[in-house]
Amino acid sequence: SQRVGEWLRSQHCKMVKDVTLGQHILIEGYDEDNPYVAKVTRLYGDENGQQMKAVVQWFMRVSELPVNKLKLLGREPHPQEIFYYECRNCDNEVNVESILRPVKHLDSNDPFPDSSDKDTLYVKLSWDSKVFGVVNSTVMESPAEPAPASSPPSSTPRGPSRRVLPTPDHAIMQKASLGEVGCSSVGTPANVEAESLHSATKLSASKCLSAKRRNATARTPGVRKRLELSSECSHKDFKMQPLCRTREQQGFLYISNTKSPEVENEKSPMVTETPRSSKRKSAMVVSSRIKKQLNLLENDQDLNSSGEEEDEFVPSKNDLLSSSEEEGQDEDGPNIDDQVSAKKFRYVATGSGNSRSKRKSYSSARTQRRTPAKKISPGTPKTPRHATPSIPIRSLQTQQPANILEEARARLHVSSVPESLPCREQEFQDIYSFVESKIIDNTGGCMYISGVPGTGKTATVHEVIRCLQHAADMDEIPSFHFIEINGMKMTDPHQAYVQILQKLTGQKATPDHAAVLLEKRFSNLAPRKETIVMLVDELDLLWTRKQNVMYNLFDWPTRRHARLVVLTIANTMDLPERIMINRVASRLGLTRMSFQPYSFKQLQEIIMSRLNKLKAFEEDALQLVSRKVAALSGDARRCLDICRRATEICEHSAADPSSTGLVGMSHVMEALNEMFSSAYITAIRCASTQEQLFLRAAIAEFRRLGLEEATFQQVFVQHQALCRIEGLRPIGVSEGLAVCQRLGACRLLLLEPSHLGVLQHIRLNVSQDDIFYALKAD
Amino acid sequence: MSKRKARDAHLPIGECITQVQQILRERFCERLLPDRPEGVEAQYKHLLELLRRTAIHGESNSVLIVGPRGAGKTMLLQCVLRDLQKEEKVQKNLLQVHLSGLLQTDDRTALKEITRQLHLENVVGDKVFGSFAENLAFLLEALKKGNRSSSCPVLFVLDEFDLFAHHKNQTLLYNLFDVSQSAQAPIAVVGVTCRLDVLELLEKRVKSRFSHRQIHLLSSLNFTQYLERVWTQLSLPDSFPDKKFAQEWNAGVKTLCEDKSVEEVLQRHFNSSKDFRSLHMLLMLCLSRVSVAKPTIKPADLLEASRMCFADATANMLHGLSILELCLVIAIKHLNDVYEGEPFNLQMVHNEFKKFLHRKSNSMYNFEQPVVMKAFEHLQQLELIRPVDGSSAKVQREYQLMRLTLDHSQIMDALQKYPQCPTDVKQWAMSAFG
Repeated sequence: SQRVGEWLRSQHCKMVKDVTLGQHILIEGYDEDNPYVAKVTRLYGDENGQQMKAVVQWFMRVSELPVNKLKLLGREPHPQEIFYYECRNCDNEVNVESILRPVKHLDSNDPFPDSSDKDTLYVKLSWDSKVFGVVNSTVMESPAEPAPASSPPSSTPRGPSRRVLPTPDHAIMQKASLGEVGCSSVGTPANVEAESLHSATKLSASKCLSAKRRNATARTPGVRKRLELSSECSHKDFKMQPLCRTREQQGFLYISNTKSPEVENEKSPMVTETPRSSKRKSAMVVSSRIKKQLNLLENDQDLNSSGEEEDEFVPSKNDLLSSSEEEGQDEDGPNIDDQVSAKKFRYVATGSGNSRSKRKSYSSARTQRRTPAKKISPGTPKTPRHATPSIPIRSLQTQQPANILEEARARLHVSSVPESLPCREQEFQDIYSFVESKIIDNTGGCMYISGVPGTGKTATVHEVIRCLQHAADMDEIPSFHFIEINGMKMTDPHQAYVQILQKLTGQKATPDHAAVLLEKRFSNLAPRKETIVMLVDELDLLWTRKQNVMYNLFDWPTRRHARLVVLTIANTMDLPERIMINRVASRLGLTRMSFQPYSFKQLQEIIMSRLNKLKAFEEDALQLVSRKVAALSGDARRCLDICRRATEICEHSAADPSSTGLVGMSHVMEALNEMFSSAYITAIRCASTQEQLFLRAAIAEFRRLGLEEATFQQVFVQHQALCRIEGLRPIGVSEGLAVCQRLGACRLLLLEPSHLGVLQHIRLNVSQDDIFYALKAD
Repeated sequence: MSKRKARDAHLPIGECITQVQQILRERFCERLLPDRPEGVEAQYKHLLELLRRTAIHGESNSVLIVGPRGAGKTMLLQCVLRDLQKEEKVQKNLLQVHLSGLLQTDDRTALKEITRQLHLENVVGDKVFGSFAENLAFLLEALKKGNRSSSCPVLFVLDEFDLFAHHKNQTLLYNLFDVSQSAQAPIAVVGVTCRLDVLELLEKRVKSRFSHRQIHLLSSLNFTQYLERVWTQLSLPDSFPDKKFAQEWNAGVKTLCEDKSVEEVLQRHFNSSKDFRSLHMLLMLCLSRVSVAKPTIKPADLLEASRMCFADATANMLHGLSILELCLVIAIKHLNDVYEGEPFNLQMVHNEFKKFLHRKSNSMYNFEQPVVMKAFEHLQQLELIRPVDGSSAKVQREYQLMRLTLDHSQIMDALQKYPQCPTDVKQWAMSAFG
């Protein structure tokens, strides 16, 4: 292949810069300042030799990493640092024309030098789109394989095998392989045999992968969801604490002990970590001895290690083969150093990985506050100030619910994330399969979701994303990036660009510049991208006169390389027809879904599932609430709010605060009255005599005129007449105006601006019947 | 007088009067909160519980306090906040942000004000940097970072809540309510408004996020309670330094409240409006008439104060007009009678005035057209007459259509009181037809 490279170089040396195999090069991307970094692993031309291609191994710049994942690094990234990118499903073929120039790079052992030479880059860690790992030199040579070709995926059931995994030898293997490959020097060109062998294995591996995917899709997501939600943790490893379970734990601990959730927080990552480090220690001791038996063991190990360690590092058969071949050429001396340093880094990397999982599972835990809240990547020097958005920490511990009613109230609060979303299974499944299929096929698409407020649109999408994220963590589907924007949470539709760019790359830009950058990003060939799932909430607010924001949002997914899935949410079902011009509506497509308002049964189920067997409500009371809300709006938020208010009323009405009974019909009725009855009638009853007279005068004048509107002057004449009838002293014009203004301020009357004085027109804002009813009952 | 002075051994009368003025003025200007809000105990309890839960349990809430002007909405809220701050658990656990729809007229200024009051990290000194979009993103990010158990609860008080609903897209309200309904930093949103239909102003998605708690402050006060309130408002506390003076003052107030004429005046006030702000206004006027020479409130003071309160402002303005201007007003009144309120112009008024001069006038003589015009313009400046909407400025001033903004009763009242009004003018005004 060296010869081929020479030949190709001679062919194209005019347009291609000096590129040799194994060299690090820059490849043009959408950002001129930070071109992509990659290493050439193979060069070839197509049949007629016109188009030159290069197979590359990608590296990530700091600025390309997702901002939220930078925290996992545990330290400030060096601006020139790059990360070895281990991703299975990225296109690693580029046109030679896109190569800009070669760059220098230093490998993992050297410390960061002080010099800020722009062309020198440093590889320290690898990045597999989830966690950082230590780079090992074998994988630096040839792209990592997702799974060894020899392991049939069907024969090893994934979840359980990981649990019973004989871990020590796995760790040892890993160490050993690290040590093994450490001796091969970093920049040397790969040899021809390894290369060709590799491509053969790659083929079979990709076949395996696709078979696995098919398996994954064959299981219906709905079933999977239910499985995940109901079962405690059977299929989850210790690293990924299932969300629902921790919630339950917390909920349970509320009652028993206020301190313990925190203790749990501190402890659990430690518990999960210790066995591993001990494994590592033992691995260190025996690694040198085992090294020689490596080739015998490797098949076993590969079979077993397809679990969670896989995303950190999996030595493929091929890698090991090539490295063992090279082993003989190098001496053993530097080998051990290499190994130790690699170990150190590995420790750091796994540690941060743990902290990530901890953060994920205990998203509400206090520990989160202590981590540096937001790091601005050094690639974007535009942010002048490093202000951290945060709310001060409270000085006193929150008090936990003391009795059943308080507990019920906490659970019924809209903000408490439910363990599952009942009554939206069908919608969940539709959205899930839509997004999943797009992610697996590496394509893009749009979906429009409509429904009145409070029908669980956003919650369902979040639930879908949560499940998909979990599936991605379990390597059932390729990983993806989720971003969310909300039309209401921006000041101007064009800010959507800024927010999308910021969430994708962490860059800050003006709306116009952001639009340009995004356009470039989505239209250019950018092989290392993950699928992006974007949720656009309150879509109707992104409407502009030219509709270019909406147009772009729906146009990007149709680009060939965009890999963008856009889920849009709005209230009206016919929004595309009503406000979108044809070319926008056409791009949105016809994948639509509408969320119907909840029926009373569903509302009841929602409350029941939230209460989760907590006996706080009478059966009838719940039914009353759900029927009432279902009849009016079907808004689940309203339903929960009413229930919450009912618990309060129940608590207050009880004579003895400690012995409160269940929330009954009467309490619910009171809450319903409070929330649904309009205050107009009470307001009229509570108004002063003159105000009541004025309302009557207004009605009398309207009757006389046969209109629903009169000037103050006309009403005032009636008012004075009424005063005389009632035996009151007639009031002056100023006082009359004051009375009128007071009624206008409460909006019992609708008034024109007050500077018109006696000429202002008056209308009633309540029906005449209401007024009569209110005044008659007196 | 001297006798009284002699008996007041420890405090001179002047000192006492100053003390009385100070105590009562603080009360009437609503600078001093009452110890317990009266007549709104249930609402007080509801609000206190609600805010306490936010402070102690970190439960997000939203609530609207609705009631007519002067019903004591802000007083209630202030009382609740005062009592809440007294509690040990709450004291340092509640951040407060006070906004007013009259001050923060758009979301941009409102956001800056919130950021400033919360002392977020993009505040330097008293200035908030960054664009509107940045501020919004920053605040939302800050609130999102928080969580129920660890971050400090924030209380947002939105005075004149209805004005916030007129902001573009209701972005601020949406975001506040959204935070209050999601697992972010605990916040309580308290809106204060006098509009009963405030919920109809909210957009449906904003409305859905609001918890629909409304605390109505509608006083079902009757007259005896009202009288009692007057009495308590006027009487001095036991802590008054000069016990003797306080006793006498309180006795004086009691007799005042039992007086028939006083009761009648108060009844009239009560009929007109039940709110305490207008009552305080009345009592303030009484109080200002108290002096060393007259150390009690007499019924006459109250009558006088009431007369001032009910005085008709526009009718008073008529007293300052010249005879010519008054004649024009009367001519306008006749025109209104004849044409049933149709608009008029200067020519019509002048003709009417000339007819009057021809027929009856003894004391008046004819004025030049420019003089009449000047008088007419003066009436317009005083806004006793105003141009009809939509009449364009292109029309010559003589022919511009006008309307009278006075009621006929006001004109007649003013004529009665007008000093040295010529009798023929009076008669002209009284006569049914000019």
